[in-house]
Amino acid sequence: MRTWAGFAKNEEVAKTAPAFTVAPQVLAIRGDIEYGAYLASGCITCHQPGGNTDGIPPIAGLEAGIFVTALHAYRQKHRDNPVMQLVAGRLTDDEIAALAAYFETLGK
Amino acid sequence: MKHMQGARPEMKLDRRLFLGASAAASAVLCAPCVLADGHGRPRVVVVGGGAGGATAARYIARDSRGAVDVTLVEPTRSYYTCFFSNLYLGGFKEIGDIGHTYGGLTAGGVNVVHDHAIGVDRTARTVTLAGGSVLKYDRLILAPGIDFVEMSVPGWDISSQNLMPHAYKAGSQTELLKARLMAMPDGGVFAMVAPPNPYRCPPGPYERVSMVAHYLKANNPTAKIIVADPKPKFSKMALFQEGWANHYAGMIDWIGEEFGGGNVGVDPAAGTLTIDGEKTRVDVCNVIPAMKAGRIADIAGVTDGNWAPVNAADMSTRADPDIHVLGDASQQGDMPKSGFSANSQAKVCANAVRGALTGSRVFPAKFSNTCWSLIDTNDGVKVGATYEATEEKIARVDGFISQTGESAEVRRVTYEESESWYAAITADMFG
Ligand SMILES: Cc1cc2nc3c(=O)[nH]c(=O)nc-3n(C[C@H](O)[C@H](O)[C@H](O)COP(=O)(O)OP(=O)(O)OC[C@H]3O[C@@H](n4cnc5c(N)ncnc54)[C@H](O)[C@@H]3O)c2cc1C
Repeated sequence: MRTWAGFAKNEEVAKTAPAFTVAPQVLAIRGDIEYGAYLASGCITCHQPGGNTDGIPPIAGLEAGIFVTALHAYRQKHRDNPVMQLVAGRLTDDEIAALAAYFETLGK
Repeated sequence: MKHMQGARPEMKLDRRLFLGASAAASAVLCAPCVLADGHGRPRVVVVGGGAGGATAARYIARDSRGAVDVTLVEPTRSYYTCFFSNLYLGGFKEIGDIGHTYGGLTAGGVNVVHDHAIGVDRTARTVTLAGGSVLKYDRLILAPGIDFVEMSVPGWDISSQNLMPHAYKAGSQTELLKARLMAMPDGGVFAMVAPPNPYRCPPGPYERVSMVAHYLKANNPTAKIIVADPKPKFSKMALFQEGWANHYAGMIDWIGEEFGGGNVGVDPAAGTLTIDGEKTRVDVCNVIPAMKAGRIADIAGVTDGNWAPVNAADMSTRADPDIHVLGDASQQGDMPKSGFSANSQAKVCANAVRGALTGSRVFPAKFSNTCWSLIDTNDGVKVGATYEATEEKIARVDGFISQTGESAEVRRVTYEESESWYAAITADMFG
């Protein structure tokens, strides 16, 4: 089990986050990066590539495990932003993995 | 693009040749490819460089890496977003903060033509521009936004927009409305004629009322606001009414359908507004008429009534599979007409068009929308939903809305989100 401790790049978000874990087989899913890039176009309408972390935090370059854990936390309503609960609520495990794989490539 | 990477070490080609070779290679490899006759690269023409059109043009050019020839036709050199234009009226933004140019799109490989599309020949697959040029297309994407339905507010037409501004296409009209607001006499009356459904940005008129009230409270506190509304209820109504009572008690008089708010007429020269037979002299009259798809959709013959019906999977029109309509002009189902929606639809459309023209992977259509509104300083609210494509329409899956009675902290965070969203979506549209 991997324990989610918060966004590596955004301590503000980490501070308000509850402890939450995701099963190892879910974390082990290999994401389809091309599908992730397509799905990600729906994220970057709100998440800027970088810059100010007030409001909506940047997510490009997040480590995949942190990303997957955060999205599952929203999907199970362990984190409480209604927009993110809605967004995560309609993603499958594979889609979350695809997004995570894509956003991680942006940090490289 | 996989064969492109494989080819890189052996073939010393310059980038242009290289891309050409790659497009040709995909043409051989993938069955659904369509190449324009004798031209080489398939051509996409996008009409309208707003939330829908700019996004679609940018995504197709970027993701096809030169394999598709993308031309964007947009008459204005600076696009002023309607989103956040109410915040300019309220004094939270400068006009320059909401203006954007097309340099980022040209740098991203889009051929930006500042002209007005005036004709579409669906048989020859050409678009004619006011300047006389004729553009050939394999796929045409129309994202012209809205035009107004003539005579929907008796006494008002486009020639009266300087006397009674709509400010529902942003830019000079928004500046005019602001100037009028600032010039109001002490204790004067600001009137709004609100539009009937469907129209762009359902909460837009009511956010505007809030921002006008915010300005007046600080600068002209005895002034009044009258809203004549043809609708019995409106978007985020409980949230706005709660906010108006909290922040602007006694200032705003909303006259809905039941009290004759839909039975209006104006006399722009006399500066009067008649509501249900009662004539009032007003100092500012913001007339927001009924809306329809931007005229070019009608000229192309893809409208049915006021809007252009589309297939949800790829935003292609019911009338012509080679013409797509995005954003406000489309009749797609459950999504509100918003910049967020237009941007979301553009990405689905771009993925599908690129797939059809180059054989790239086409993924399932997924749409979303969130609309933030500002009621007063740090008092932001939001409404949002997710959507999917069905045979019949873009269908709502799930949604949420801010609650009445939320804490000041929640409202402040919501407002901050809207600032981030604005920066992100405009970067996404214009590069
Ligand atoms: C006051 C107000 C507040 C709003 N607030 C929000 C908000 O907070 N959030 C949100 O998501 N949405 C908001 N909106 C709605 C949003 O502005 C529109 O829904 C969005 O702009 C629609 O995008 P579009 O691409 O369909 O049209 P537009 O963005 O209007 O773009 C259309 C473009 O097409 C061009 N055009 C038209 N005809 C032709 C032609 N024949 N040839 C070439 N070019 C042409 C026009 O010049 C224009 O640039 C608001 C709207 C208003 C009025």
